[in-house]
Amino acid sequence: MRPLFTLLLLLQAFSVSAVQAKEQLLEVVVAEPYLEMHSGPGRGFPVVYVVGRDEVVTVLYSRTDWFKVRAPHGQEGWARRSELALTKLASGEPAPIPPYPDFATHRWEIGAGYGVFNHQNLVTGWGDFGLTDSLDIEFVVQQALGNIDNRYIASLGMRHTFIPEWRWFSPTAGIGTGYQYIDDKVPPKPLQTHNQLAYVSVGARGFITRRFMWRADWRKYLIFTNQNQNEDPEEWKFGLAVFF
Amino acid sequence: MEIRLSSVLLAAVLLSGCGWFHRGEKAPAQVVAEEPQAEPSIIEPQVNRREVKTPKIKAKDFELGGYFGALSIQDFGTNPIYGVRAAYHVSEDIFLEGYLARSKAGTTSLEDVFPEITVVSDSGRRFTYYDLDLGYNVLPGEIFLGRGRAFNSALYVTVGLGDVKFADKDQFALNFGMGERLLITDWLAMHLDVRDHVFETDLTGRTKNVHNLEATLGLTVFY
Repeated sequence: MRPLFTLLLLLQAFSVSAVQAKEQLLEVVVAEPYLEMHSGPGRGFPVVYVVGRDEVVTVLYSRTDWFKVRAPHGQEGWARRSELALTKLASGEPAPIPPYPDFATHRWEIGAGYGVFNHQNLVTGWGDFGLTDSLDIEFVVQQALGNIDNRYIASLGMRHTFIPEWRWFSPTAGIGTGYQYIDDKVPPKPLQTHNQLAYVSVGARGFITRRFMWRADWRKYLIFTNQNQNEDPEEWKFGLAVFF
Repeated sequence: MEIRLSSVLLAAVLLSGCGWFHRGEKAPAQVVAEEPQAEPSIIEPQVNRREVKTPKIKAKDFELGGYFGALSIQDFGTNPIYGVRAAYHVSEDIFLEGYLARSKAGTTSLEDVFPEITVVSDSGRRFTYYDLDLGYNVLPGEIFLGRGRAFNSALYVTVGLGDVKFADKDQFALNFGMGERLLITDWLAMHLDVRDHVFETDLTGRTKNVHNLEATLGLTVFY
């Protein structure tokens, strides 16, 4: 019962903040012969209202490629990004409809994927910040699930993208350091459960659509142990990411 | 007259200010000769430059909420499950979603017949998972309630991977699902989901893939 109550409380908080936020909304003037308003944010939803040239519409918010707009007489509907981008401000300037970030020069990236670490299934998630177009800082958290143990690996590294302006395929290479924790499933317990590690990686990335991209990576680790020999497992992974 | 006086005063202040910054240096040999007074301009614009700020459009691409339902754990009966979900809508077709949920397994038939046998310890009956999914809106549309009301909706499919912790062990799990999103308002959505969590286990003696089906009802908020 308690989680349900918490959920309700959370919803309440959301709805209160939605009512209280009385921010200034963008108003644009239709410059084309008309602007179509659909009943939903998708290509198949029917057109329910049409705003004529020189009429003012209020832009409420956006969802993916669609913008919820309000016509002068209060009718609400969804306008397509490409059509809303043709409207103007009252001053005559083009409406500030933000375009999607350029893939070659994007700064932030967040993604997740599947991989294999030393014959174990791997779940991976990462965040990435671009210092320049070709040099990134990557932070990766992953969990390798095996029959004998589970490993949790967190790593921080630098990655170089060789030709960032190649949209569909661009090779990458990186180095970094990190930490692993071993959670054993079957005895005996590993001699060391916490290790520091370093890695080198080669990979590739590419654009899919809008904010969406893929990334593939091969890594060679060096896991530092207090025994005579260090471990050097390999890993490959593939994932999907969203960039901002 | 007043303007001239104040400009002279201002010049004096500025000069002294410069002197303050150069106080560590040797003073120049000669002070610059006084410049001839410029003609005061006839029109002094007194209008402050107006900052025009165009309001930003808020993007509501995130979805956050919870769900509740029934999970059928293979060999361990059907039990209530509750969880939280968060999604990011990349385009009108594609979304990325994460789930976090927990349930508790019942007893196997073997344990029911022979109460002295325990397959899994009490703490091991806790069933928790996390999933990272890719979703696709296959059939977007509208649902009509009577003559006057229409709700936007979408039938979607999801596929993903994650971790199921059951019997005190973490297992790699794949999940396949299908759901219906019904938008009660543009920011509040109701979900009906069916998902299968598949993983490999040797709990009952031999290694096999187990299917754990769940049917849930959820509520999410777009923001």
